[in-house]
Order: sequence, then structure tokens, then C-alpha cells
Amino acid sequence: MDTDTLDPVIHAPARLRIVVTLAALADGDSLSFTRLQDILELTPGNLITHLRKLEDAAYLTSETTGNGRASLTSITLTRKGRAALDTYTNTLRHLLGGL
Amino acid sequence: MQGTHDIDDTTTANDGEGLDPREAARLLAKTERDAKRQFNLSPPWTAAFGGVVIVVAYGALWLSTRGQHPYGGPSLGVVALVYVAVIVAIAASVKVYRRATAGVSGPSMRQQQLEGVAILVSFILGSPVIQGAMKNYGASHAIVYGVVPAACPLIVVGTTVLGIAASKADWPRFAAALTIVTGGVVAAFVGPSGAWLAAGIALGAGVCVYAAATAKRVSPA
Repeated sequence: MDTDTLDPVIHAPARLRIVVTLAALADGDSLSFTRLQDILELTPGNLITHLRKLEDAAYLTSETTGNGRASLTSITLTRKGRAALDTYTNTLRHLLGGL
Repeated sequence: MQGTHDIDDTTTANDGEGLDPREAARLLAKTERDAKRQFNLSPPWTAAFGGVVIVVAYGALWLSTRGQHPYGGPSLGVVALVYVAVIVAIAASVKVYRRATAGVSGPSMRQQQLEGVAILVSFILGSPVIQGAMKNYGASHAIVYGVVPAACPLIVVGTTVLGIAASKADWPRFAAALTIVTGGVVAAFVGPSGAWLAAGIALGAGVCVYAAATAKRVSPA
């Protein structure tokens, strides 16, 4: 099976789970970094690495409010990110249907 | 960190290599299901719990008033039981809501809060205002303290939810609200004691309709 057609930004276990989890929220809604970390059970460092990669691809945006211990980082899936997930899902379906 | 794990701490551009499409599809489906469960405001257990509360509260009201001629209303013990049941149900709903929406912010949250206010206002004002007006115009005790408090909340709150569900094309919620409104209409015409029974059956049916629809949404395809 040719996996080259799958978006490499999403086609990694951690990033796939991040994008799918954020896509379960309503369009435009944000999720806090800590809740996302709790749901995915990833270490902060690992989560940050994957979030950065998704942010570089403009699939999500993050916003930090407050300072120090009171700071809160919210992550939002962009329309581009949602569309990329749709494309990824369709490609996956096509690949599996083509077996 | 305890309870967390690294999928691959040494993340590279090729970290998807080796992920089989079948495995990816499984992971996608599982994550989607887990996320829906995490953000679900009406998990099946709350519907089951709500159903039990409804059966206990409305069943007690009906049994307490059945066969009363003239209608005297439920006993104080039953009224206290109903208040406790309602408070417990509200506390459970708040807990579920807080857990599901922890860390979530954005337009849909603001919309949900406004919907909550609309439902609360219709619940608080709906029945007492009509009861007050009925009493003012000399309606009987059976109407003011039997038919109206049983039927009106279902009609008024149910209609509010019906409008919200229609505006969002949320058809399971619409069906549940329609069931409850219909039950409220029936309750308005079956006498003071029968009204509690009709209201209980309608609410129970509405909860079942909604629980079945939401369980289908979060269950594996």
C-alpha cells in the first residue's frame, strides 16, 4: 500500500490523535494544553514538539494568555487543519478500499 | 510524568513511517470515539440516572395524589423527595458538564451558556407565572397545584429546547423535546393526578429517545 499520498504532517500517531481530538470540538473552539495532554496522555515535551509541527503547517493555532504558573495555552484547529484531516481520512478510506 | 507516555520523543519528519494505513484507520476511529466520549455532555449513565430520578419523582407524585377527591396535592414528604431528586439530578448534570467542557473555550461554549440561560429562565418563569395567573383568576386547587405544575414545565421548557434544537438541526434533541412537549399537552387534559403520570411517562420517553440517539453517536461505526 502506498502511504506517500497520506499527508505526512498528520500521518504520525501522536499528531493524528491531536488533530482528531481537536476536530471533535465545534468549529472555532479551543482546547487547553493541559486538557489535551490529559486526554492524549503525552508528556508536555512530546506534545509541544508535535503541536509545533502542526502549527508550522498552519493546521492549528495556539494562544497563551497570562504569565508564569497562571498562564493558559489554548489550541485551536484551523479550517486548513480540519480540511487536511478530511482529505487524510478520504485518502485513507481510498487506500483501504483499494485493497 | 506519571500516567503519560511518549509515542516517540525523538520526533522527526518521517515519524509516520511504518504506520500502516489499517493501523492509522484504527487509531483514527478509536481517537474519534474517545474524543466524543470526553466531550460528551450526555453520557449514557446520566440518561439512565435521569430516568431513575424521573421514575422516582413523578411516580411518587402520582402515587401520592392518585384517587384524591378533591385533589389535595402531594404530601410534604413526597414534595421533599422530589426536591432532593431534582437537586441531585442538577448536581450530577453540572458535574458532567464541567468535566466535559474543562479546558474547552470558544463560540460553541458561549452559545451553550446562552441556551442554558434560556432554558433556566423558561423553567423558573414558565410554571410559577401561569400558576399565579390561574390562582388570581380563581382556578381550582387541582388546576393551580396539580395540572399546571405537571404540564407547564414540559410545554414551556420543552418548546424552548425544541426551538434551540431546530435552529441547530439537532434532530435527536428535537425528537426528545417534541416527545416531552406532546406529553405536557396530554398531561394538561388528564386531570391533576393523571397529569403527574403523563408528565413522568413523557419525560422518561424523552430521556430514552435522547439517550439512544447519543449512544449511537459515540458508539463504534
